[in-house]
Amino acid sequence: MSFLRTLIPFDIIGGLTVTGRYFGKVFFSANRKKIRANLAHFTQEYPEVPVKLQPRFRGRLTLLKDEQGEIKCVCCLACEKICPTQVITIEKGKKEGRKMPFPVRYDFEMERCIFCEFCVESCGFDSIILNHQFELAGYNREDFSLGMDGLGHNMFEPSPVGRHSVAED
Amino acid sequence: MPTMTLTQTLVMGLLQCVAVLILIFVMVPLLTFAERKVIGYIQVRLGATRTAGGLVGITGALNRGMWSMGKLPVLSILRGLPVFIADILKLILKEDIIPAKAERSVFTLAPIISVMAAFGVFSAIAFFPGVLFTFPAKFPIVGGLPFMGFISDVNVGVLYILGLSSVGVYGIVLGAWASNSKYPLLGGLRSAAQIISYEVPLTLSLLTPVVLAGSLNFKDLSIRLSTGADMHWLGAIPLFVGFLVYTTCGFAETNRTPFDLPEAETELVAGFHTEYSGMKFGFFYLAEYTNMIVVSCFASAFFLGGYYLLPFGLQRLIPASVPFLGQPSILFFFLKVFAILFLFLWVRATLPRYRYDQLMDVGWKWLIPLTLVNLFVAALIRFAF
Repeated sequence: MSFLRTLIPFDIIGGLTVTGRYFGKVFFSANRKKIRANLAHFTQEYPEVPVKLQPRFRGRLTLLKDEQGEIKCVCCLACEKICPTQVITIEKGKKEGRKMPFPVRYDFEMERCIFCEFCVESCGFDSIILNHQFELAGYNREDFSLGMDGLGHNMFEPSPVGRHSVAED
Repeated sequence: MPTMTLTQTLVMGLLQCVAVLILIFVMVPLLTFAERKVIGYIQVRLGATRTAGGLVGITGALNRGMWSMGKLPVLSILRGLPVFIADILKLILKEDIIPAKAERSVFTLAPIISVMAAFGVFSAIAFFPGVLFTFPAKFPIVGGLPFMGFISDVNVGVLYILGLSSVGVYGIVLGAWASNSKYPLLGGLRSAAQIISYEVPLTLSLLTPVVLAGSLNFKDLSIRLSTGADMHWLGAIPLFVGFLVYTTCGFAETNRTPFDLPEAETELVAGFHTEYSGMKFGFFYLAEYTNMIVVSCFASAFFLGGYYLLPFGLQRLIPASVPFLGQPSILFFFLKVFAILFLFLWVRATLPRYRYDQLMDVGWKWLIPLTLVNLFVAALIRFAF
């Protein structure tokens, strides 16, 4: 019996079946004109095709806005206090027609940020998130000091590298 | 066939040699490209999809051109296709280094021997048993002459091919020795032992179709086996076993995984071609892939039915009066060649490398007795029926 099992390569046939099945799957899903929802292959064609990230991916810090386009932050300073590397600086202020305090400045020093997401966890008003931007490289040091306005240093805009991303076309 | 003058014979021979060379030089780069893609797909990734990393310059323009060919992404195969041109350009443009302590003449001779042994085999291989097309009469010298599907019709073609293909090991061993370095030498020794021990079952397994058909001519042998002329239908059994053994030995003869011990990159840096670079390395590469094509041609012609559709002499189920399926065709031949080449890549992506003693075990303790028994069965069938 063991003689026959050595003679007839069952294990090799089994292995070939497994790899052949994967070949077929990838071959028939990759060679389509349109991107399909469930591609069989795991690798992504990043610069040309936008990357699909996991929902829990921790990218750059951003303030969220409500339906009226108002910034949701109420300057409770919870994120500033909990931040282990102290990268968040908030200046409290007032705005016409708004009961809650309004952040006049919300500075975020990304060069020291460790992307731990403690700020988002501590926020009681769900007003900040770490978004899915990952093209975070900058051309000089100032690119990493982000605020609420301005062109180059605005946390609502894409990063300098992300602005030239091929995936946007 | 009209009788040919000496000039006509020479020109026709030259044309046919050039045709086969073009075939090799087209198939080998496509084969390397197919290897990247097939192994990529099997490992659940895409393989080569761009020529170089950049988005600027010539390669960048090429990449962007491939991408703009349609809605993103265009066919995964098409996007990586310029890679094989880049492969060839790299090999040709690379600096050709000869180590200072190497034996210069032998070092240069070794890749040439390998390539010549691999290419010379094609002179006896018949891609089609008859006339492929006839030149129109308006051509100056070759007008009205038939273009055959083979270069020469050798009586003992199989013997010639077997003899010439085992010359290829000289290239490997000489190159390994002339490199004057320890890893190539070890690779060359392994290669010599491996190829010599696998030459025996390879030849014995090829004797099975020879015994069943009773011919040594490549073309005749293939036609007799596939149409089953004066062969009992039981002959399909030793042919099938012979096919399995032959493919296994073919993997070992061409130094492909799982028998790629001569270039085991984890143990010997790159085996016998560690010291080679540029086009000399390219010649070894060319020889290896050409040998793969030769082995595939052999398996296709002798075991899988050759120019006919059905393998193992089953072609007699389809009468010759059926228009396309019953007739010999060069398409069927190349279909089988591509299938075996795909098997080469498939096996490479699946099986790990054998240990050295396991390799010798498989060769001497299993394959040689198996082929001997197989040959005996084939002879019995030939004798009894």
